[in-house]
Amino acid sequence: MTAVHTTGVGGSARRFRSALGEHVLIVPFSQVYDLPTRAAAEWDADPARAARTLAALEAPAAGEVALGEVPEPSPQSISLNVSSSCNLSCSYCYASRGNFAGRQPEPMNADTARAAVDRLLAGGDASAPFTIGFLGGEPFVNRRLVHAVVDYSSDLAATRGLDVRFSVTTNGTLLEPRDIELLRAHPFAVTVSVDGDQALHDRQRPKSRGGHASWAETVRRIKPLIDAPGRAKVAARATVTRAAIDPARLFRALLDIGFRDIGLSPLRKSPVGALEDADWPAYLEALIRLATEQIADARRGEPIRFTNLAVALKQLHRGAASPYPCGAGGGYFSVAADGTWYACHRAIGDAEYALGSNAGLSERKRREFLRERHVHSQTDCTTCWARYLCSGGCHQEKSARSAASCDFIRGWLDFCLRAYAELGPAAMPRAIPQVHP
Amino acid sequence: MSVEDPIRLLPRNMAAQRRVGLVTTPVLPIAGNPASTRLESGVGNCFPGLECDLRNLERRFFPFLAVDIDMNENTISVASVDMAALRDAQAAGTITAATAKIYRQIDSTGTSAAPWRVVTMHGVFGPLGPQTIDIASLGGSSMGPSRLPVEAWTAVRLLAEDSPIQLTLRRGQTSLTLAGQRTRYVNDDGSLADFFRTGELTQSLCSPWTHDFRDCGCYYWASNHPDIAMPPRPVAPSTDTAWDSEVVWERSNRATDVAPDASTLATATEGSGLELRHYEINQRWQELNFVVEGRELLGSYAPLRPMGKPLPDKSALIEHLKYAAGIELAVMHEYLAAAYSLQAQSPGPQQLLDDVDAARWEIRRIAIGEMRHVRAVNDVLRVLSPDAYVPALRVATRIPGTTSGTPRPVVPDRATRAAVASFIDAEAPSTSVDGYYSGILATLELFGLTVEAQTIRTVMGEGADHWQAFKFIQHWLSRHDETEYLAPLPPAPSKLARAANLVLQAKYLALLGALFDGYQLGLPEGAPEVNAARAAMRGGTESLDAAAQAVADAGMLVQFDPLTDPRFAPVVGPPP
Repeated sequence: MTAVHTTGVGGSARRFRSALGEHVLIVPFSQVYDLPTRAAAEWDADPARAARTLAALEAPAAGEVALGEVPEPSPQSISLNVSSSCNLSCSYCYASRGNFAGRQPEPMNADTARAAVDRLLAGGDASAPFTIGFLGGEPFVNRRLVHAVVDYSSDLAATRGLDVRFSVTTNGTLLEPRDIELLRAHPFAVTVSVDGDQALHDRQRPKSRGGHASWAETVRRIKPLIDAPGRAKVAARATVTRAAIDPARLFRALLDIGFRDIGLSPLRKSPVGALEDADWPAYLEALIRLATEQIADARRGEPIRFTNLAVALKQLHRGAASPYPCGAGGGYFSVAADGTWYACHRAIGDAEYALGSNAGLSERKRREFLRERHVHSQTDCTTCWARYLCSGGCHQEKSARSAASCDFIRGWLDFCLRAYAELGPAAMPRAIPQVHP
Repeated sequence: MSVEDPIRLLPRNMAAQRRVGLVTTPVLPIAGNPASTRLESGVGNCFPGLECDLRNLERRFFPFLAVDIDMNENTISVASVDMAALRDAQAAGTITAATAKIYRQIDSTGTSAAPWRVVTMHGVFGPLGPQTIDIASLGGSSMGPSRLPVEAWTAVRLLAEDSPIQLTLRRGQTSLTLAGQRTRYVNDDGSLADFFRTGELTQSLCSPWTHDFRDCGCYYWASNHPDIAMPPRPVAPSTDTAWDSEVVWERSNRATDVAPDASTLATATEGSGLELRHYEINQRWQELNFVVEGRELLGSYAPLRPMGKPLPDKSALIEHLKYAAGIELAVMHEYLAAAYSLQAQSPGPQQLLDDVDAARWEIRRIAIGEMRHVRAVNDVLRVLSPDAYVPALRVATRIPGTTSGTPRPVVPDRATRAAVASFIDAEAPSTSVDGYYSGILATLELFGLTVEAQTIRTVMGEGADHWQAFKFIQHWLSRHDETEYLAPLPPAPSKLARAANLVLQAKYLALLGALFDGYQLGLPEGAPEVNAARAAMRGGTESLDAAAQAVADAGMLVQFDPLTDPRFAPVVGPPP
């Protein structure tokens, strides 16, 4: 299907073929071009000329930041670890139900939360949106704080003219009508952790007390919000374990519940259930099968519901290119219950990720953190054509990175590149309306 | 980077489209300064007049033409014809084919070496009336009954917007005549007309980082690159006042560990060796410091102004605003007493007459500014309590002191050295009145009342201007003995003075009454009352000004008696 051409340091182009013909991805800044037959012939006949063409395209365009830079933006997003416990006990939980193996024994108090919000809103770019997320544990274990922080932040936003948005990741089982009202009344991105159908979900996400029946509880409580979301945007996020590598089954079960945006996350690092090298080819094949169905829907004018695909298409359309896989330590921090600012919500209690507190960030430590995690610093990434799209993947899962798991990412991106080329830029607004820029 | 023989790729995604043309199209140079030097990004934002070279507006005074006006040579040459706009106009039927033909002839035959020149202009030249002006004849007297504009640019400048003009243009032996209307430089929304090109209005500004600086005689350089400035703050805290003296910004001694010698200000010239020479400015421009708030900066700018502490609630805010209006009235009382007390003995030395004249007019200007502040504060009060609004016109009994918690009484006095010093204290940034407003400002910002906050910010900004002006006044008056410029006050006022004072007090009460009614009604309903109050203050023998002058002339201090009318009775305000 494809032939890899590398030019200059690290391979700066990837030629690929779709139903329309040949294309090329220019790796820096993720530029996608069509390569007409004559251009492809010229490319093959005169590699030096191809190299010169590529070199001219590698410079940043207006508004783009050089990819070698280690930016230190002011944080625009934080997550608050409002709760240190959870009413479920999922075997793969990275947070050990919110207490992070005893490193976060107490829930967050209101003073700490307010101080974190104050710090966020004081330091960021007032003309850009701010996001305040709620994590745990299960955030609604500490319902009172969630409500208090939303009220406090909304008031501040109103008086200062700021665009403050919220996000929450919840298992949904504790949602009460007043919570639903809160979520509807504010610009909330609500991610519901739900692992597909009842049997699968109840097996993977048992209640910590009183048996296995959490799926029914989740569905019953989240349904009113799905049906009438107000200002909230509700998405389902399912964890795929090696016990059930069946993306289509998960996807359809969640679609049946009523979710309109559904994302899948393969479990990469966990004592039990994580996908292993042998699993990746099968997972890729299954994922492509599901995505192909979605592309067919998109051709009929239906929006893409599978958010992994929607996000990938959006990134390819815009030419998203970043040396970082996420905002950790850059535009995003996660505030622990004790007020410590960690680069990532999965690293609560990990001293390496502790970059500051509500009193301020340690700029030296932060710079070091970012420098070490820049994709150019990842020896196994510097020659990969997918480096500015994958950016090395989750920092927390770095140790689980293997040739097989990287092949999976490249295979998935190859599929998405082809799908993007075939759908065409003009189809994007209808195909991915739910993925806002 | 340019590539001579790129492989032709067709952009598909947005990142690729951003680069369309990057490889194949040469970069087009744009005339003048970069697009970033637009009006709104210019240093002129804080220094009006430097945002563009206003003379460039006249480049486009005639439809479809861009002209170069050479003020030294006294010529108007056609630089270009806007053919695209011309085609549009012809298509729209707004110009005739015959006229378009003339423009095309100008476009096709004019060259930079031999351009078309405007030789005569017929139009209405402002106060000079309808004229046919022969450009070459300008340069004579611009005074007297048969005066003409001093040169070509001034002549163009006098033409009224939209007025009909007729030009005669000549190139070699060929002459052409064009008729049109003087263009409008701004659109209906107040922004610059579309026909101005990027960089066109800034193109003739001197470039701050060249030795243009060295030669400029304007003495109003950009606020961040002035001729004189206070040196950078000393690294170690110092009580040496030399650090607060203005020194030559382009001084050649760039040492930062000892305070520069302010005495060099008068003697520094290029030849003196005290200032950088032309070539040195080009070589050492990076050593020339940015100036913010009158002081050179070596590092990042950190605002000195302490953020005010917000007041506890809206009712406290309203109380403070009411008292702020009273403070404005109170200082106005003091300033007017001082202004009318200035009376140079004539005939006297010219310097004395000039200094006293300048001081009197500056104090009056400031007093008028305080009245505008009263209005501004009342406008904010109306917004805060639209239903319960009562105009705030009660004079304050005390003025916030230079240190918090020690207000001083209001004491109208002549413009003595002590009085002027107290005015400087009252207007000083961050303390006294300014400090009082900072709490109000912080509260308005907290409430998200951005328009009202901006109003108060303007009031505070003008306070800083008043402070600077009083320092100048202090300097001017310091050159003379108090007895030379202060009218003597007899121990007891004469009968004439008392009579004049009664008239003054009555007029002041009437004035306040009109203001009260006008403010109460609000705009536009209250406009007649506000205008009547304004008219009663200035001009004419029946004005408050005339009444105050009569009191001063009769040898009595101009001051306003405490009023018993509850609308205007003195008020003790909330603590600062």
